[in-house]
Amino acid sequence: MAKGRELLGRIKSTENTRKITRTMEMVATSKMKRAVDRVVAARPYALALTDVIASLYSPELASDFPLLRQPADVKRAAVVLLTSNRGLAGAFNSNLIKEARATVAQLEAAGAEVQLHVVGRKGIGYFKYVGRDLAVQRTDITDKPTADDAASLVDTLMAAFAAGELDAVYVVQSQFKSVLSSPPASTRVLPVTRPTAGAATKDYLLFPSAGEILSALLPAYVRNAVYRALVETVAAEQAARRTAMKNATDNAGEMLNVLRRTYNRARQANITQEIAEIVGGAAALD
Amino acid sequence: MLKVSVISPEAVLFEGETASVVAPAFDGEVGILTGHAAMVTVLGSGTLRLADGQSFRVEGGFMQVADDEVRVVTEKASKA
Repeated sequence: MAKGRELLGRIKSTENTRKITRTMEMVATSKMKRAVDRVVAARPYALALTDVIASLYSPELASDFPLLRQPADVKRAAVVLLTSNRGLAGAFNSNLIKEARATVAQLEAAGAEVQLHVVGRKGIGYFKYVGRDLAVQRTDITDKPTADDAASLVDTLMAAFAAGELDAVYVVQSQFKSVLSSPPASTRVLPVTRPTAGAATKDYLLFPSAGEILSALLPAYVRNAVYRALVETVAAEQAARRTAMKNATDNAGEMLNVLRRTYNRARQANITQEIAEIVGGAAALD
Repeated sequence: MLKVSVISPEAVLFEGETASVVAPAFDGEVGILTGHAAMVTVLGSGTLRLADGQSFRVEGGFMQVADDEVRVVTEKASKA
């Protein structure tokens, strides 16, 4: 019965693992719901801001704003990579890292000097491993990112861009399209691309002036783009973890079926053999 | 009545109808009643007050008024 005991041990350990993955799946599901709520709650602000900037924007004003400066060629760029602090989320982090590497490679091929800003332990760990210098490393952004987190990430970049020290800023994030689809994407947040107007523009009275309003709102627009990237990435992380843990739980179930079948067969064989021995022994006495 | 919404980056704090709005614009307070001309103004920091007694602490952002609809879009907002 030595084999049987060994199988029992494996059944027990698979059961325990399944318990853990099932719990993690449920935790990720509830965290994901709250993260999705935050993604949805962030939408009205972005819409309102885009609306007003689009209606005030005019090409003549563009040259007055450092954030709208369109450099002819990109000499220095920054890439902000958003990853998670924790693993066990399937290919979530490696997809983001792959996307960041592609973006960096593309910029460097075009002759730009690229500085990397990485959020999340997973991304930092990877770039440390490959020995790349990181301009900024952040692990303090939790799974409830705030508008202040976004501001602290991008304000220095905005200042550098306005001063002409940077020609482009990209953010590598996960786009949260749905629970099943959250592809990594790299978006350019600076220079600001002109938002397209949704509704027809009205004739507004502007205080103090179109230019002053734009100069107050453009930084808010950039910060908001980063804030939305943060909340979407968190939602995508939880969705990825949920899927990964669901697969692990399902696989554990399948493995348990096979192990239990093997164990029962071994036990049955053992009993059959014992009966045969008893019957054989009894027959020998006659 | 005015349709008012108070929007921060993280959430919509208030959405509903009220008779008047007093908002802290960049250069002092502005009062809005029904029939106000379409307007966009930059906000400073201070207290936003609605006719029903509710108030919000706001900082930065802008206020947009059009067709008796007031949108207060602010970078930092909290219920006061």
